[in-house]
Amino acid sequence: MSAPENVLEIRNVAVHFQGRAGLFGRSAHTVKAVNGVDLDILKGETVALVGESGCGKSTLSNTIVGLQPPTTGSIRLGEDEVVGATGRALNDIRRKVQMIFQDPALSLDPRFKIGAAIAEPLQVRGIARGKALKQRVSELLVQVGLRYEHADRYPHQLSGGQRQRVVIARALALEPALVVCDEPVSALDVSVRAQILNLLVALQKRTGVSYLFVSHDLAVVRHICDRVVVMYLGRFVEIADRDTFFANPKHPYAKALMAAVPEADPERQRNKEGNKERYILSGELPSPSNIPSGCAFHTRCPLATDICTRDRPELTPRADGALVACHHA
Amino acid sequence: MVAFIQSARSRISRVPLPIIIVSIILLIIVAMAILAPWISPADPTRQNLLGRLKAPGFERAGMTYWLGTDDLGRDLLTRILYGAGVSLGVAVLSVFVSTLVGVSLGMLAGWFRGWAEIFIMRMVDIVMSIPAVLLAVLTVAVLGPGFLKLVLVLGLTRWPRYTRVAYAQTLQVANLPFIKASELAGAGAVRILFHHILPNIAGPILIVATSEFGLMILMEAGLSFLGLGIQPPAPSWGSIMSVGRQYVEHAWWIVAFPGICLFLLVFSVNVLGDWLRDQLDPRSRTR
Repeated sequence: MSAPENVLEIRNVAVHFQGRAGLFGRSAHTVKAVNGVDLDILKGETVALVGESGCGKSTLSNTIVGLQPPTTGSIRLGEDEVVGATGRALNDIRRKVQMIFQDPALSLDPRFKIGAAIAEPLQVRGIARGKALKQRVSELLVQVGLRYEHADRYPHQLSGGQRQRVVIARALALEPALVVCDEPVSALDVSVRAQILNLLVALQKRTGVSYLFVSHDLAVVRHICDRVVVMYLGRFVEIADRDTFFANPKHPYAKALMAAVPEADPERQRNKEGNKERYILSGELPSPSNIPSGCAFHTRCPLATDICTRDRPELTPRADGALVACHHA
Repeated sequence: MVAFIQSARSRISRVPLPIIIVSIILLIIVAMAILAPWISPADPTRQNLLGRLKAPGFERAGMTYWLGTDDLGRDLLTRILYGAGVSLGVAVLSVFVSTLVGVSLGMLAGWFRGWAEIFIMRMVDIVMSIPAVLLAVLTVAVLGPGFLKLVLVLGLTRWPRYTRVAYAQTLQVANLPFIKASELAGAGAVRILFHHILPNIAGPILIVATSEFGLMILMEAGLSFLGLGIQPPAPSWGSIMSVGRQYVEHAWWIVAFPGICLFLLVFSVNVLGDWLRDQLDPRSRTR
């Protein structure tokens, strides 16, 4: 077996948004949505990116797929550098990365039939046309568990789960190396979530695609992912293998996230409530335009001491292989 | 062939009755406009000062004036028939021009943002702040009056409304995930604008266009009344009505009949536009 290769290498990526200065040049805050992150994703791997709303997950995923240029840093997809590429070159690179969106009702053009929606990437890149195009569309539909008859329907004639299958088929049409899944099941009924997740897993086994799985639902993350990345205010605070992470989360923020997952068993839920007091977070997520000094988490951290307000902890390796950015954990 | 006729028949039977009625009204008005020279009982400009302001049904020298005569003794029915072409033509063409200009600019501003947005939307504010009549007077002063110039004046003063609607709608649609998905698919700006954004913003634009349609006929009337539009003695519904306004106490028919035609035309266009907008949306066609 050859050595595992990286499909994605992110180095020191930051995305800052310059607030628009007022009419009279009032100073505007810079929103630091993503603030210097490094990440590798292996071929065939599923990496979960977790964090609360506003932590920069969506900005980072938009940056990875090339919809949002980073302020600094480098993003490599396989051999190709995305940052700085333009026009045709950028378009060719983008073929390797696709995206699945949260709300399937909004990710399909209501005026495009299903077949046309799936055919679009193949058509605009001139990969297939005519009979071959039809053939490919029907293959993709079958691959995601739909039938060719669905090609002739409009999105509103399908259920939410079926629509998400169409979105997946469209994302896979170009045979990408990486698919960024932005909360792909959170808008779906609980009853169809498992189906979609299983479909994603099955497609990964067949095609060897890698997933960056953006989510705040740790139960889903545990079900599908190989590695977990926890993000807080534009930085990664913990990166660990799934089993390591779920057995022993180390960063106080990761612990708080875990403590917030409800247990199905009321007995266990009560036990959990007994010892989670320490990890109930107080206060709101600070504004990304005004990130606290030192460790960004110190304003809400139960372990915070003086050093946390002064020095920002770097990600450092722990005994079990996890990378954690905390002075005290 | 039989199947085709059957499917056509079933398609027609699904069209609601009011839509069939307004379509027939529109067809009649269009036919009036086209056939005016052949079906008119008289010459639209021949005056007869002895027979001015005669009531509908007035007979003279073997001819019946079914809708009466105007202030110069011209046959009102003939003038309405000839006027249909002018009113319809000005309205259709000026709505077409302003939609074309307005929607293109609005989509450009909403899609590209940045300098295009600032420049176009400020232009909209400027044009909207100039009274249309003033602009019309200026244009006519430079170009002189005439049918096509009237269309140009109306088209070029009315585009900002379309731009605002197209701009706001484009902003909204451009942020939806399916547009992102098309970008990721590799679609360029032209494809996204014409294949994804335009069909999705067509509904509100159609509504603006139909409401503007009636307004165009009235503006043509107003400008013609000021001597800036269609030059007398050529008839248009608007100019017939603005002349008739002075005589409304003694001769109600001069205002009433073109007014009824105008009402039917504008009403029909609005009803049809509303229905068409629904038909454009695949979500309303679910079996």
